[in-house]
Amino acid sequence: MTLQIKNISKVYSNGVQALRDVTLSIPNGMYGLLGPNGAGKSTLMRTLATLQEPDSGSIFLDGIDVLKQKDEVRQTLGYLPQEFGLYPKAKAEDLLDYFAVLKGITNRASRKEVVEALLKQTNLWEKRRQKLGGFSGGMKQRFGVAVALLGNPKLMIVDEPTAGLDPAERVRFLNLLSEVGENSVVILSTHIVEDVSELCTRMAIINKGQILQEAEPLQAVAALKGKIWRRIIEKRMLPDFEREHKIISTKLLGGRTVIHIYSEADPGSGYEAVAPDLEDAYFTTMAGYHQNHQPQKEGEVQP
Amino acid sequence: MKFLKIFRYEFAYQVRRLSTWLYLAILLIFTIGMNFLITPGDGVYANNTFHIIGITVIGGVIWLLMGAVIAGEAAAREVQTRMHPLTYTSSVNKFEYLGGRFLAAFAVNALLVLSLPLGILVSFYLPDSAEAAMLPFRLTPYLNVYFLIALPNAFIATALQFTFATFSRQVMTAYLASLLLAIFPQVIGLTAAKLFGNWDLVKLLDPVGVAGIMGSELATWTPTEKNTRLVTLEGMFLWNRILWVCVAAGLLWLTYARFSFTVPSTTTWWTRSKRRKLPAEPVAETGVVRTTVVTVPQVPRSFGFATGFQQALTIGWATFRKIARNPVGLTLVGAIALCSAIFGYKIMTQFEIPLFPTTPQVSDYLTTNVGDIGSPWVVIPLLIMYFVGEILWSERDAGLGDIADATPVPEWALVIGKFLGLGLIIVAWMLLLMAGGIGMQLGLGYTKLEPGLYLKALVGIQLLDYLLFALLALMVHIVVNQKFIGYLVMFLVFLFLAFPSTFQVEHRLLIFGSDPGWSYTDMRGFGNTLGPWLWFKLYWLAWALLLAVIARLFWGRGRAQGLKDRLQLAKRRFTPATTWVAVIGLGLILVLGGFIFYNTNVLNEYQSGNDFQEQQAAYERLYGKYRNTLQPHLIRTKLNVEIYPDKEEVGIHAAYTLVNKDTVALDSIHLGGIAGVEPTEVKFNRAATVLLSDKKLNHQVYLLKQPLRPGDSLELNFVVHYKNRGFRHNGSDALVVKNGTYFTNYDLMPSIGYQPFREIKDAVVRKKFGLAARLEIASLYDAQARSKPGSTDQASLEAIIGTATNEVAVAPGVMQRSWTTGDRRYFHYKTDASIGGEYSILSANYAVQESKWQDVDIRIYHHPGHTKNIDRMLRSVKASLEYYTEKFGPYPYSHFTLAEQAGSGGGASADGSMIYYGEQYAQLNPDDGPEGFEMPYYILAHEVAHQWWGLARLTPANVQGAGVLIEGLAVYSGMQVLEKTYGEKHLQQYVNFLHSFYEMPRSLATPSLLQADEPFLYYRKGGLALYTLGKYIGKEKVNGALRSLLQQRDSGVIPLPTMLDLYKEIQKVTPDTLGYLLRDLFETNTYWRLKTKQFTSTKIKADQWQVTLKVHAQKVVVDSTGAEHEIPMNDWLEVGIYKGENELSQQPLHLQKHRLRSGDQVIQVTVPRKPTRAGIDPNFLMIDLRRDDNMIQLDEE
Repeated sequence: MTLQIKNISKVYSNGVQALRDVTLSIPNGMYGLLGPNGAGKSTLMRTLATLQEPDSGSIFLDGIDVLKQKDEVRQTLGYLPQEFGLYPKAKAEDLLDYFAVLKGITNRASRKEVVEALLKQTNLWEKRRQKLGGFSGGMKQRFGVAVALLGNPKLMIVDEPTAGLDPAERVRFLNLLSEVGENSVVILSTHIVEDVSELCTRMAIINKGQILQEAEPLQAVAALKGKIWRRIIEKRMLPDFEREHKIISTKLLGGRTVIHIYSEADPGSGYEAVAPDLEDAYFTTMAGYHQNHQPQKEGEVQP
Repeated sequence: MKFLKIFRYEFAYQVRRLSTWLYLAILLIFTIGMNFLITPGDGVYANNTFHIIGITVIGGVIWLLMGAVIAGEAAAREVQTRMHPLTYTSSVNKFEYLGGRFLAAFAVNALLVLSLPLGILVSFYLPDSAEAAMLPFRLTPYLNVYFLIALPNAFIATALQFTFATFSRQVMTAYLASLLLAIFPQVIGLTAAKLFGNWDLVKLLDPVGVAGIMGSELATWTPTEKNTRLVTLEGMFLWNRILWVCVAAGLLWLTYARFSFTVPSTTTWWTRSKRRKLPAEPVAETGVVRTTVVTVPQVPRSFGFATGFQQALTIGWATFRKIARNPVGLTLVGAIALCSAIFGYKIMTQFEIPLFPTTPQVSDYLTTNVGDIGSPWVVIPLLIMYFVGEILWSERDAGLGDIADATPVPEWALVIGKFLGLGLIIVAWMLLLMAGGIGMQLGLGYTKLEPGLYLKALVGIQLLDYLLFALLALMVHIVVNQKFIGYLVMFLVFLFLAFPSTFQVEHRLLIFGSDPGWSYTDMRGFGNTLGPWLWFKLYWLAWALLLAVIARLFWGRGRAQGLKDRLQLAKRRFTPATTWVAVIGLGLILVLGGFIFYNTNVLNEYQSGNDFQEQQAAYERLYGKYRNTLQPHLIRTKLNVEIYPDKEEVGIHAAYTLVNKDTVALDSIHLGGIAGVEPTEVKFNRAATVLLSDKKLNHQVYLLKQPLRPGDSLELNFVVHYKNRGFRHNGSDALVVKNGTYFTNYDLMPSIGYQPFREIKDAVVRKKFGLAARLEIASLYDAQARSKPGSTDQASLEAIIGTATNEVAVAPGVMQRSWTTGDRRYFHYKTDASIGGEYSILSANYAVQESKWQDVDIRIYHHPGHTKNIDRMLRSVKASLEYYTEKFGPYPYSHFTLAEQAGSGGGASADGSMIYYGEQYAQLNPDDGPEGFEMPYYILAHEVAHQWWGLARLTPANVQGAGVLIEGLAVYSGMQVLEKTYGEKHLQQYVNFLHSFYEMPRSLATPSLLQADEPFLYYRKGGLALYTLGKYIGKEKVNGALRSLLQQRDSGVIPLPTMLDLYKEIQKVTPDTLGYLLRDLFETNTYWRLKTKQFTSTKIKADQWQVTLKVHAQKVVVDSTGAEHEIPMNDWLEVGIYKGENELSQQPLHLQKHRLRSGDQVIQVTVPRKPTRAGIDPNFLMIDLRRDDNMIQLDEE
């Protein structure tokens, strides 16, 4: 199963270009879509989830034209939006059962079986008779996953799913996803680098509607080997360093500033080579020093 | 400072919204549009204050919907957009926060409603309207309506909406507030007015003004008043404003007191107010991360039609549960049903007399047109409109939209599912109504329940109407795809459905969901009303199919998208299956619409209101010149009638004998009747040629070769054939039906001469068609009108009527013979004297009750099941014949026939020697106890009196006051029979009934009784004036005057009698000292204001009590402009002093006439025992609008 996205563009009526000529090829497994807030991730995800029309381009899930055969796509789709609500007065079990019908599980017995299994998988079994209005953020998120998992989707789209989760929930959730990813296309959009580095076999970095880099996380990191250097400086010195070096990130550490720079050669004294991680790869790309795609002129420095 | 900042921010936010400007535009368009659609009445200028007030009030109702968004947004936007944690935690306090936001909403609303007077003002000065006559510009009316009506309404509504939205934390609930404001006070007030006769309550309770201002105050204004009068801040209106502003202020205070800056919990204000325990805190989960293996069981899924169907059912059920759990989901309809059951004894009445609550009666009460905004059931369409928006947006409002939209549910299953849920709730409502109806019947002790008929009427007929409406609302919301705008559009659509003719649309094929109506009565059943109804509904169902396709195509799925995207999506959804459904829908619309059109417009003539007036105008223009052409008189009618109830067909062979009663020879004969049934095979028994034959207007002119000499007669033969072909646009034309045939000679038979009653009466319409201006009724002093024959034929009737074997045919006259030939049954009737100019023929499966009074055979033809009142009717007829014969002269016939007329009428009517009564009359069930009132007995006495007054006896000239001579005298006569049989106290109840019509909102500026021109004066004031006169000069003297009038003016003698003749007779028997009273009652429009201010009594001796009354008296004449002129009094008025607690048990200690002058005065009387009640005019002989202050109880000193 492969998802082929070709030349998708979208301009909103207020003039914002949300997607610019996006082309991606997504195989089975976990695929991370990494980018800052407002990069166009959600627009792309909604487009994949049949909820939005692009201005141009095409999307194919194997033989299915996603833009035209929406019904067929929806039959294999699991979608967890970035933000969603639940009927506060409904009970978890009832609402999940309701969605099971909407997903085409019409047999009462099998619906019962699936609902029970999913509630157990998502650790909500104990709360199944509780009103959804009383659910915490994590419980709500897990309920969303349960809905998305109904009907064993072949295409799973999860939009920033870990945002509101506590560490334990996050880990459990990501585990859940990677299990699903074993025989489905799972697209995970996030602005948290760890989500991708820990799970995804492939990833794309997106900013301002453009794909800046598409790679396997391990390769992306490997490509930076020996090119990332670190130095601890006084905060007031930062402008001087910015002029001299390609700073990709700055962090405050106990009142002092740690900078990472990108340099193919040894930048000299005071710098120490660091083993790059995915975060470095992300910032390098965001800062426009990665040459895979067209460089971004006004690359923002992410703190 | 913060207050100002919050206010400014909110105000600017609302003003910058596009929707706010859209609302402004709609209000302006409404005000301007209405000015073009409404034509002021005769003598009313274009820029009259009546129009300004009316449009402001109605515009205010439309604004209620817009105001709901504005107030709701101000109150609940932050919570709904989940921005509240930011504001709630800032340093702003409750007062600044709520106050600022409320004031901003109120300011925006105040500006919006300002557009009403502004728009009205502009509409008067637009170039197109300049031609109409205008009054000079005055600013006051606009300020008046704005500051007394529009602005306070805006404040009240905004406060209520704001409160609702704040507590529910939802913008939508503000709509509920609007709904309540628009409906509840009006329904409660109108119910109070109709059930308990308290009209002031409407004025007090209605915050919006549709019933309180327009329905009661404005409805009474004269043309002069309409031009310049304003609503003033006094009386009930003042109290209304105070009451509602206090309610609004109280609500605001409550909002302030109860509001707190806390994050809303998951409960609603409803559960919060119940202070329910919160569910236990979720237990913290273990921090240990277990790697679970996801093993979601593989279960079969399917995506075919069957799945879609099941999904629709699931969605439908979920939708139903959601609505049912809503606070107003079932309660509102349930409450009205419950109230109906409780107040059944007040609702199931006719003329204030209880009715048997038969199932047809009750289901008639429970059902109504969707667009009928005057009935309490208007809550149902309004609730449908509300819930359509709610359920359609429920996923999106809850934030579940994306997840739900991404599921593999076909659009059609979604549309059908939501509609199904709505349908289920409507079914539940119908069952509630049915329960209410049955409760009503059981509560009244009626146990002959007919659940089958309820199901047919409510679940069969009424449900379909509501479903069609619901589908329309659903479609509007889907296409508009913007919740609040959707509500607004749907509300405008609803206004169109309620008042289609205001928008110049009359044909039912163009008014969604409409039908020609249906009826059910014991006699006719559904008659032939169900078929046309069904055809129309099938036609609308075909439309529904097409609407469903549109709904599927435009179903908003996924994120809100532009028009381009939606069109593209719709194109993609246009699958072959959809195409087929659309084609089938379109085909059905064309076929069914064509079939209906063929029935209404080809088989039958379709006339819009305008077409009909056009025809009336054409008739007058073409033939009005024959108005005074002398014509022979009809003296004998012979008919051979063949009625075929099954085929809804009747054939009549008629022979008219015409005689020349004039002094000159006549050579032309005019023959005509209502358009559409023209006579054929017209033959005279002497040579005649057709001069003119106008089939369209049904007017024929024949020229006699040999003129008809004075005194000579001729015979005219013709054939009339009528068959109900197909069905008509306004379905009300059932002349011949199974077990319920009823038609009059005016329905089918031609009349001789030009028929002035076919002319247009309304002055404005006459002007529109360029017809000469004239009074609606000729002046009392119009000598020419008095000598005009008009409809004064005095003919005898002989009829042989054939009908189906299971029916009995009825016509006036003695039944000569009845026989059966084959499958036909024949009846031969013949009258033994002339019966006047009108008669009816009936046929149904009648039972006959026969009786005799002296030599008169009395026969009552009635529905076999309707026997409850037969005995009472016989008693009334006999007592009446006895009394009238004695007082006014002999009854001219040897027979008297009463026949039940199929249909829902509650009253009765009379022709010569005959009375017809409606099915509802047969179901009157008066209370036989001391508090009860024998209205059915009175009604028949009244109708019997018409055998003396009107018809074949006293036939007045058709001028002002004629109605008093016919109806007023019949009322007075009927009252005497009532008194003779049941006593004076019973009569007093009828007098109270007459007075009660004065308490309904009506203009005081009526003409005098002599020049009376409306039924209110004929029946109510006519009856009261004669009764009062009888109390002053003695009823024998009044009867003598009436008898004398009748003897001098027997039927048809020219010049015809008028009110002046009656007045002359009355003057003859009235002493000069009471001349003033005659003037007050007959010549002028006089009202008395009589009030007892103080009442004391002191014991002088053992059996002597000195009574002192301080009273106030005043007499005013109201002229035609509504202006009041006080006239000095020196009148004889009854002073009554009683012992006893109430009116029923009291015994008079003193009841005499005293002379009273205008103003305050003291009356002293000595009575033998200790009195308890006293006052002036205790029997309400004078016309006094406040009767409750005439008498007072003793205040002990």
